[in-house]
Amino acid sequence: MSLLLGALTLGFIFSLLALGVFISFRIFAFPDITADGSSALGAALAAMLLVHHVNPVLATFAGFAGGFLAGTLTGMLATKFKINGLLAGILVMTGLYSVNLHIMGRSNISVLGSSTLSTYLDRVGTALTRHNTLNVMGWEITSLEASLLIASFLFIVLAGCLMYVFFQTNLGTAMRATGDNHEMVRALGINNENMIILGLGLSNGLIALAGAFIAQYQGFADVQMGIGMVVWGLASVIIGEALVGTKQIGLSITGAVMGSVLFRLLVAMALRLGLNPNDLKLVTALFVFAALVTPELLNRFKTLKPRSFHA
Amino acid sequence: MLELRAVSKTFNPGTPNELRALQAVNLTVDDGLFVVIIGTNGSGKSTLLNAVAGSFFVDSGSISLAAAEITNWPEHRRAKLIGRVFQNPFSGTAANMSIAENLALAAYRGKPRRLDWPLRKPLLGEMRERVSHLNMGLDDRLKNPIGSLSGGQRQALTLLMATWLRPELLLLDEHTAALDPKSADQVIALTDTIVRRHKLTTLMVTHSMHQAANLGDRLIMMHRGRVIQDFRGAEKKRIRVDDLVARFEEVRRAELLDESAAEMLRRVYI
Ligand SMILES: Nc1ncnc2c1ncn2[C@@H]1O[C@H](COP(=O)(O)OP(=O)(O)OP(=O)(O)O)[C@@H](O)[C@H]1O
Ligand SMILES: [Mg+2]
Repeated sequence: MSLLLGALTLGFIFSLLALGVFISFRIFAFPDITADGSSALGAALAAMLLVHHVNPVLATFAGFAGGFLAGTLTGMLATKFKINGLLAGILVMTGLYSVNLHIMGRSNISVLGSSTLSTYLDRVGTALTRHNTLNVMGWEITSLEASLLIASFLFIVLAGCLMYVFFQTNLGTAMRATGDNHEMVRALGINNENMIILGLGLSNGLIALAGAFIAQYQGFADVQMGIGMVVWGLASVIIGEALVGTKQIGLSITGAVMGSVLFRLLVAMALRLGLNPNDLKLVTALFVFAALVTPELLNRFKTLKPRSFHA
Repeated sequence: MLELRAVSKTFNPGTPNELRALQAVNLTVDDGLFVVIIGTNGSGKSTLLNAVAGSFFVDSGSISLAAAEITNWPEHRRAKLIGRVFQNPFSGTAANMSIAENLALAAYRGKPRRLDWPLRKPLLGEMRERVSHLNMGLDDRLKNPIGSLSGGQRQALTLLMATWLRPELLLLDEHTAALDPKSADQVIALTDTIVRRHKLTTLMVTHSMHQAANLGDRLIMMHRGRVIQDFRGAEKKRIRVDDLVARFEEVRRAELLDESAAEMLRRVYI
């Protein structure tokens, strides 16, 4: 049961990652892999501040802000300096590795002794239930697990709604149009470069926020924790698209959250069934690969079929 | 008023592919004038429009529009003054967004994009009203994605978008060339109506001699990056399709002459 709760909670937290990847890859069609660095940056910043007794809300927000800056940097490299988008992301991601080491002073720090969002929630949960454990339909769960799940769910609902509203505003509409048709966007007086910079900032801010939450959820930040984040986020986005389609931004946002949760459940199940944790990233990469090429292959197969008949 | 003074643009300078697309072009267009531009393939018509719109910066010369010196303005800044329709119907609209969202983007042309709501009631009402004047059966389809529309419908909408806020200058680059004849006629009729009604200063590039003869107040012919002919006023009104075809033939013959002369020189000296 706590495995399931944990997977759900992680799924909600990683939804922020999925939403970030959705903004860069889907809205801007920008293959931004800054995420691997910015997620660890968010974790490192939050953890370092928490260890220094900074208010957890502030520390978490600092994580978001750090990611935002990293994203704008990638955006600037790609637009103002005309560097290939993929390379711009690689440059910032690589640089961030050293930055993260400097922030933490070593390769990982623990926040277990500090007060974090998790300890807040633990207190709130215990106060509300007056117990350390709850009984839900015969299952024994801790109030911490329950409050983490509920809080992460509420937060992601809020974040998703905010994002939806944002993309309906003039600024958000201009951003979506930039990804759709940058020629038109410039002709309508929108500075498409600024849109990309801001969009990547937002994307990496969300991803770093996920990192900051993860650090507090698991109790530590590690300089390596960002490796594979882009692929995880993409996997969630792809699952979401398979579930709800790509027609509307609202659906896409819901889909990304659903995809993230489903992905985490699948991962938990696979690990439970004996998948070697070391193979997790390989399996995820293969999954994304398969999801990307399958539609193409199916198409080719369809068009090839009649011809092979004559051969 | 639009004014180009000695505007030059060379593509791939200093390479074997060097191409002098605009060679010291001078052009002054008075307010409210509808100018049609014709010319052979590669004569620099699109380059001229792109130079004015700011798709690139010119190598030398200066451009001013509505008393503003815009030579060094980036494209998105010039868009405050300029409305544009491209040749490709896909270029002017965002396919994945609805008609209403596209129009809303145009309703804020040249204005800062803030966190406010674009699709407000009054604007939506105005959209229905203006779209119904297109007579393209789009009145009840404001929520549909633009990608589901035909090329003609998309060009008509792009024209509406380019002129939603009155532009100081309207640029049309073969905006009917990719359409079937019927849609092309429709869009041309619409163009003429809009340009006349709002007295828009307009540059329209076309390959259709018919359009060139029948539309506009002034006709410019380009060749090899230069303006080689400029018909205005009564002279423009008198021009018939046959005159234009004959003029084109003349240019073509001069061109052949040029080439045979060059060939002869090459044989003699190399
Ligand atoms: N971005 C560019 N880079 C290099 N060469 C270019 C570029 N844009 C245009 N050219 C070249 O400049 C010349 C003028 O092109 P332009 O597109 O202005 O011609 P045009 O008069 O519009 O022709 P068409 O009638 O075929 O549209 C052409 O030879 C073209 O190949
Ligand atoms: Mg052209």
